[in-house]
Amino acid sequence: MLPALLILAAITVIPTIYLIATSLTPLNLTLPDSAWDFSDPTLNYVGLWDDPRFITSVWIQAKLSAGTVVLQLLVGLLVAMLVNGPTAIRRFARSMFLIPMVLPPIVVGIIWRVIFTVDISPMHRAAAALGMPIASILTNPHLALWAIVVVETWEWFPFTMLMVLAALQMIPSSPLEAARIDGASRWQTFRFVVMPYLRQTLIVVGLFRLIDSIKAFPLIFILTDGGPGDTTQVTNYYAYQQSFSFSLWGYGSAIATAMVAGTMFLSWLVARTLGVADVEVS
Amino acid sequence: MTDETGKPSAADLLHGAAQLHRRQILKSALAATTAVATVLPAPAVLAQLKPFTGTTINVSCWNSTYAQLVSNHLGEFTEQTGIKVAYDLPGFPVYNQRADLELSTKGSAFDVLNITAIYTARWIGAGWFTPLQPFISDLAKTPADWDFADLLPGAVKPMRDRKGVVHGIPWIADINMAGASRFDLFQASGVGMPDTFDEMERTLAIVNKKDNIPAYITDNLYGWSFVPFIQGFGGNVFRNPPDDLMPTLDTPEVAEAADFFTRLLSNFGPEGVANYTYDQVVESLKAGRVNYATLNQVWLALMAAPDSQVAKTTSFGLFPKGPKGRFPGIASHAWGIPTGAKNKDAAWEFIKWSMSKEFLTKLVNQHALASITRQSVISTPLYKQKMTFNGYDLGQIFIDTLKYADQGHMAYRSVNVFPQVNMQIVQAISRVLSGQMKSRESFKLAQTYAIADLKRAGVKL
Repeated sequence: MLPALLILAAITVIPTIYLIATSLTPLNLTLPDSAWDFSDPTLNYVGLWDDPRFITSVWIQAKLSAGTVVLQLLVGLLVAMLVNGPTAIRRFARSMFLIPMVLPPIVVGIIWRVIFTVDISPMHRAAAALGMPIASILTNPHLALWAIVVVETWEWFPFTMLMVLAALQMIPSSPLEAARIDGASRWQTFRFVVMPYLRQTLIVVGLFRLIDSIKAFPLIFILTDGGPGDTTQVTNYYAYQQSFSFSLWGYGSAIATAMVAGTMFLSWLVARTLGVADVEVS
Repeated sequence: MTDETGKPSAADLLHGAAQLHRRQILKSALAATTAVATVLPAPAVLAQLKPFTGTTINVSCWNSTYAQLVSNHLGEFTEQTGIKVAYDLPGFPVYNQRADLELSTKGSAFDVLNITAIYTARWIGAGWFTPLQPFISDLAKTPADWDFADLLPGAVKPMRDRKGVVHGIPWIADINMAGASRFDLFQASGVGMPDTFDEMERTLAIVNKKDNIPAYITDNLYGWSFVPFIQGFGGNVFRNPPDDLMPTLDTPEVAEAADFFTRLLSNFGPEGVANYTYDQVVESLKAGRVNYATLNQVWLALMAAPDSQVAKTTSFGLFPKGPKGRFPGIASHAWGIPTGAKNKDAAWEFIKWSMSKEFLTKLVNQHALASITRQSVISTPLYKQKMTFNGYDLGQIFIDTLKYADQGHMAYRSVNVFPQVNMQIVQAISRVLSGQMKSRESFKLAQTYAIADLKRAGVKL
């Protein structure tokens, strides 16, 4: 037990403590002495509240997370329903749908960068050839974030699909058969028989994807670099910028700590709310 | 010992034969050893000739043309010195972030790193690079004919710390200039390369969409590509760098420059122009998908490369001048040795080799490398010959542009908090280009954010 605890401490607790400790300093890498300056430990956190870019980044993050989680759940559920079955073509389709999820994020970014770059994009060229040219999406402040939502969804809906497929195969056949005998429509069967079985799975998947959506970084780095302006500058991208472009690690750590706290709170809230609701439904 | 006949006994013969045999073997061995020692260097001699044999150094730079060319010749360096090189060439932003982190932690992962122009003040000022004077002035390490004084003084200057100590050997003095990939379309329209901002806008309006090609492009590193326009309109980035670092992004001159610059990009740029990185710009120019650019010489010169589709229609010119003068960007990148490097002497061997007159002459001769920093090479007929494309003397443009460095307009770039302001300039132009804000409003916001970032970095304003 003790070795396991020590390993756990080494790989999670100590870095977290270091992150929090750093967030209490004005650590600037060009000023090494600032690493141990705890004279004003709340400086960075007070600064966060006064920083409109941080607040904006949280709002952008919220939109990105909401969009990606909802879309991934819907698309993943839909595709899982379509490919659920024993036929060979469905098995093949299941394997194919998994490809985006196993690609490295950088590859996903490059694929979509090509698709979104007007002068070389097959999508833009096809649209232009049909007489319906599409303006640049990534430089449109109203669309850039949603472009990232689409790419995130494309990359990660297979995770939902996979989990839902597993859940679908756990559903006993007797209630489905009873519904069929009772004359339930397909929709009624899905709504009142299948969905209750999938509910817990979807909650867990949603929670996983919510936490993961907060880590969206490579796609933003490759596709938009936080732009146009700062319309796709999510919170972790802002933390990265402060830490790695400006060397302000103290402030960057404060942003990261706030993100960790926010993510933990959100996870607890979602699990509790949905969990309670689930108990009530049961 | 003899037998009855007085002849040596068989035993004696055998013994003598054995002795003769040993003697012969010893003689032969001695002769062979002497021959080997004479013909081939003994290990000790070998060690004297190549004292770094067995050493591997780690070198990294962003993937510039020069750095890529160096990678093609690393075998020659290894052959000369015995030093093996692990060579890493990531993209520009990735390199900078990786190097910044590596240097700030005084890591020993790299023996030679590029000192990036915009990080020069920060990295050298923080003491993250080794002073090179002990290597340069030690004749045992650097022969006099390597000639440090031959390097362009303007390129070396940013590599000196406040006391004047050199920390980097500049491999590039890059300049802003202008280039047209399809100058034939200019000529067909009866216009030449524009020399002023006004001419630029008029000319681009004339050639725009000729042959369905957008007229103007520049990359989205606006902290580099836009600042010459700010200065051309009489503005600047800081009030009086490096002494007074109050940003001056909210001035009427900056707003006027932003109006002009974004108008060019919006009216004459390709769709999605705000998202073009420098490599995309270069590829678009080389493929003739876009016509005129104000960009670094090192990139524009690639339009004349053998693999370019526009090599025969390319032309070059000075960066246009604005109402207040001509302020082309001039930046130098340099090789340096991180303070945490393990193999400093071997690292210096690499720098010495890659920046020798002979090697740079070879790069000019074989690859027409343009933006080099050795005056002796730049002044040769070979350089002039290699840098003349379609009758345009790129070498002369380079030399003429470097003279503008005396104006001191690049002081803004030698400030250690420039990356913060750079980011604000990029975002401000992006906001204007994407229609989120007008120039004045966007740069007013940039000014507010820049002040906040500088204060956070401990700058007293």
